[in-house]
Amino acid sequence: MENFLEFLVVSWFDPYLLFLTAAGTMAGIYVGAIPGLSVTMAASILISFTFKWDVNDALALIAGIYMGGVYGGSRTAILLNIPGAPSAIATAIEGYPMAKRGEAGEAIGLTTVMSVFGGFIGILALAMFAPVISKFAIMFTSRDYMLLGMIGILLVGTLSGESFAKGAFAGALGVLIGMVGLDPMTAEGRFTFNTITLMGGIPYVVAMIGFFGVAEAFVQLHGLNKPVIKQKIDRIIPHFSDVKLYFWLALRASGIGTIIGALPGTGGDIAALLAYDDAKRTTKNPEVPFGEGAKEGLIAPEVANNSAVGGAFIPMLTLGIPGDAVTAVIIGALYIHGLKPGPMLLVETPHLFWFIVGNLALANVFLLIFGLTGIKVFTKIVECPKAILIPLIIILSSVGAYAIQNNPVDIYWMLLFGVIGYFFKTYGFQVGPIILGVILGPMIDSNYRRAMIGARGDIGTFFWDFASHPISLVLSVAFLLMLLSQTPLWPVIKSLFGQKSKVLGK
Amino acid sequence: MSTENHRRPGELVFVILLLLASLWLFWQSILISGFSGLSTPGVFPMLASGLMVVSTLSILRDTARRAPGGHGFNRFLEEITPLRQAVMLGLVAFYVVLMPWFGFVITSGLFLFASISFLWRRNFLLTAGLSAFALAIIYLIFRIAFQVVLPKGTLF
Repeated sequence: MENFLEFLVVSWFDPYLLFLTAAGTMAGIYVGAIPGLSVTMAASILISFTFKWDVNDALALIAGIYMGGVYGGSRTAILLNIPGAPSAIATAIEGYPMAKRGEAGEAIGLTTVMSVFGGFIGILALAMFAPVISKFAIMFTSRDYMLLGMIGILLVGTLSGESFAKGAFAGALGVLIGMVGLDPMTAEGRFTFNTITLMGGIPYVVAMIGFFGVAEAFVQLHGLNKPVIKQKIDRIIPHFSDVKLYFWLALRASGIGTIIGALPGTGGDIAALLAYDDAKRTTKNPEVPFGEGAKEGLIAPEVANNSAVGGAFIPMLTLGIPGDAVTAVIIGALYIHGLKPGPMLLVETPHLFWFIVGNLALANVFLLIFGLTGIKVFTKIVECPKAILIPLIIILSSVGAYAIQNNPVDIYWMLLFGVIGYFFKTYGFQVGPIILGVILGPMIDSNYRRAMIGARGDIGTFFWDFASHPISLVLSVAFLLMLLSQTPLWPVIKSLFGQKSKVLGK
Repeated sequence: MSTENHRRPGELVFVILLLLASLWLFWQSILISGFSGLSTPGVFPMLASGLMVVSTLSILRDTARRAPGGHGFNRFLEEITPLRQAVMLGLVAFYVVLMPWFGFVITSGLFLFASISFLWRRNFLLTAGLSAFALAIIYLIFRIAFQVVLPKGTLF
């Protein structure tokens, strides 16, 4: 622990790691900016290539991609009114009107500086809170992990998609995909149909590439012929007075971003929208009305989505629960490298934790550099026709799926998942819960069975344990409340409580 | 896409297919270890597939309640699998079938050329050049730099 500073700065002084982080950040900005290419897609494809690398190298590249990608979406949002990523939806609302007024450069500059600010706050929170949470998390039993896993799946299922039933279906489907293969506790086959191919299970990176890469490519085929609008760029470095003026707003937005990012299942997308909403409600007299290019509305979501990055790493590294889709992919990468994200990660491999913190900070520095440069070249690349991009995504996804274990069958799985994913997306099912199901399903399964064996197979003891242990009780209540909030009963309960507090207030 | 009050074309059929698949998966889960204990490998798959059955039933109820979009199959072809998607699906199928014979490089080259010429519709030479260039970059990055072994076919 004493020499954590040394690990913190490893990537700052190693030229190769420095290069990888820079390359990752740069690639992330472009990937994030090109509509149709998402950070999740890029991270999942890239991870399949990096698993033969040294852990540090792989993490350096991925941290860069993540940081850059979350930010990158804002550029296309400002310049073309097409959010490069869902986390930039609110950015487009205010950024594009600014660009139309000829302030595209200023908008990009302000977004960059503020994103970097938010990024640092998130990383600071990660460095401060993760060690505390993980010390606490060592006391968790298999019962508590089962509950955490269930909360993780529940949140994604409820926060995205048209209905809870669709989210639940997607999550359960993911769980079943994760169950395929030999049971790790008894070595009995599950859904193997007596074939050797299925005994090893379906690698979840394959499912990820299929559902996020190929499926999204098929969805993108719908908007192939949308015309591209060009913008003129002038001043990029923001005015210092602006940075000073919006400091408190940015600080609040980064608080929102970090907390939302740290909640399992919610990431930069939701953080950005909540921060935008907060800015809209709290700004009394904006210079320009919201919706017509208010700087407050541009800054808040961008600060929030970058601070959510650091936040999302907290549950991932301390509990093994992904904070959002990208961290779900990164968990996959950590497993591939033989690491176990969870409370023991900080105990057994503290150097890795501090390396990640330092590396994220480095990626954030590169974000500032690349964010303020190369905007003219950038506008050219963004105009690459989707007609070329989409076939390339399919090919890249195939290489990615194959590279995991050099098995051509994985390509077929991946493409099959891609086609199924297209229909899911078309009919209002979200694919995010599927991936969380694939990752959290086996975790819930093994922890449930351990807890049940611990209760000697007695269902009464099993349930009593949830009520009699303080941590389990808190988690159970949280789980039940979240489950309840999905039912039609919730508004009734809420209005009851609302009336009560009003009465008390009087 | 269509509004919330109307079903999307083909949605009802899709949900019914999901229900059938869920029921089959539930049956398969029961076959793993039956109802022999509470900590057997089959318990969790049964719970998950059971949840799939219940949730598809609820989705089916919601879907059936909404007004049909009308002209079911024709609109399905128009909106969900228009020519572009259908051709791309076909090309992906070809890609999967040809790969074991021709290997990754040739199959991907053919796929790139066919799909770009279909989607982009520029002249032959430009498309061929672009596909070859893209393939060369992919080969350089993945085969040479990342040392990924690319699938080989039985013929090449």
